Amino acid sequence: MSYLLTSAAIVSALIGVPLFLVILFGASIGFSQSDIDLMVLPIDLYRLTESSVLMALPLFAFAGFLLSEAKTADRLVRVSMAALGWLPGGMMIIGLITCAFFTMLTGGSGVTIVALGALLLPAYTQSGYPERFSLGLITTSGSMGLLLPPAIPLILFGIIAQQMDIPGVDIADLFVAGIIPALVMILALYFYGLWAMRHAPAPTQPFNVKELLSSANESKWELGIPVIVLGGVISGVLVLSEAAAVTALYVLIVEVLIYKDIKPRQLVKIMQNSMVMVGGILLILGVALSFTNFLVDAQVPEKIFDVIREKIDSKWAFLLSLNVFLLALGAILDIFAALIIMVPLILPIAIEYGVDPVHLGIIFVANMQIGYFTPPVGMNLFIASYRFNKPISELYRATIPFMLVLMVVVLMITFIPELSLWLID
Amino acid sequence: MQLGIRKLIQFGRTVEDYTLVSILIGMMLLAVTQIFLRNIFESGLSWIDPLVRIGVLWIALIGAMIGTRKGGHISIDILAQYIPEHLKSVLVRVTSVISASICGLMSWVSIKFLIEEYEYGITAFGSVPAWPFELIIPIGFSVMTLRFATLIITGHQEEDS
Repeated sequence: MSYLLTSAAIVSALIGVPLFLVILFGASIGFSQSDIDLMVLPIDLYRLTESSVLMALPLFAFAGFLLSEAKTADRLVRVSMAALGWLPGGMMIIGLITCAFFTMLTGGSGVTIVALGALLLPAYTQSGYPERFSLGLITTSGSMGLLLPPAIPLILFGIIAQQMDIPGVDIADLFVAGIIPALVMILALYFYGLWAMRHAPAPTQPFNVKELLSSANESKWELGIPVIVLGGVISGVLVLSEAAAVTALYVLIVEVLIYKDIKPRQLVKIMQNSMVMVGGILLILGVALSFTNFLVDAQVPEKIFDVIREKIDSKWAFLLSLNVFLLALGAILDIFAALIIMVPLILPIAIEYGVDPVHLGIIFVANMQIGYFTPPVGMNLFIASYRFNKPISELYRATIPFMLVLMVVVLMITFIPELSLWLID
Repeated sequence: MQLGIRKLIQFGRTVEDYTLVSILIGMMLLAVTQIFLRNIFESGLSWIDPLVRIGVLWIALIGAMIGTRKGGHISIDILAQYIPEHLKSVLVRVTSVISASICGLMSWVSIKFLIEEYEYGITAFGSVPAWPFELIIPIGFSVMTLRFATLIITGHQEEDS
């Protein structure tokens, strides 16, 4: 009976039942088998109200969705063009940086490609980049920035680790740890792009101080956002949830009252869209609390560890298989759901193998980032195909070279822990 | 009669939307007020933090309710990307039967939970009872049950304005 129900839960996940309901299904089966009253489910869901840091998720997401509806993208492209357009391949850096800026606030939910794609694709092709190359670069850039603060995936990883009472996982540490790996990824894509375009390099733009000053002046309000977040959190003046509240209110005032890009009546729609995303994450988190408690009580992580220890005896072999597993997971599962479901299982095992929990967080998110455009099912491939009206097979071909480059970077991030941990020590 | 039901549904959606908007704006304002109180007057209001944390629970459930009416839940949608057009409504009906049943079960146990909390007089903070704040759990899951049940009948997501 229990096998039958468990298979039913797995099948319902695969045919597209919302994941929070699948987890509730799984938890109900587990608790019923152990004769625990199912009232524990709403009790655990109410535990969402125990942690203040969760407030950061809706507020950062709201800020990110607001920016993606405003003309922030135009302003950011303009200012970065003025600052970096004189570099060889400067346009690529511009695309990567503006994408990273959006993704760090909206969590790679596809918003980046939707908000920036229509702007960047013509900008690339007009600057002399071939169409396929541009498509590949934009699709890849769509998940760039998941490791930059205040990246929601890193916040979520920190929250989960703290709920499991794992010592030494501070969200501010995770933010700092993600910076170098994120920069390595951006640089790797940039240098690959320069190499790929070596026979027909795109023309550069002359540097113009006036244009730089006027564009920086135009976007000064938005350039202040990272200062609030990073300055506030890393200096310790604001805790994360406070920084999120300040950021959201600041962005609201800037876009509605100063730039007037957003009309007050648009706000309902923007709030709806951002909170549908966040509500989904929070509910998965709330119901998964029950489920992971159940798994931990049943000592499932220990049992998995015993099984894989027989086959994998070194930390490095473990990390390599973890990479393969996470890449596949990232291609089929949304990053937030993957974090909430898998971190409670993987983190204790990784600690047994001597992996630093902060390093694990970075490895986890870095792999998920590639999963977004891993054929055949990575989500950003579908979004880009829809957005640019191109067949999905063309996007596969366009994206694969960039994917291979980032896979090398992920291996570096995995096997050189110092890349993540150096700034913390 | 039909018109009456349509109006009722539309009214419900409007209530959802504006509750969400008020909570989100309220959270921002309360949290920022608290920062000012703490840093400038070195004091703070003890009810703000718990209230804001309860706001997160409400946002989670209202977001999920709206997600159900827009078909915007996080799910593994590989199958939906690849099956032929004429089978899609079958798939929607099958997933909706499962979803409606789980939501129904959850509505039932959360009503039981709420009644117990009421009877034992559990408080959220100070002497404020917890049950009015917990009300969103059964409401949210009941509304989602109804929405999934509707999908079983219609077989497709209605356009949402």
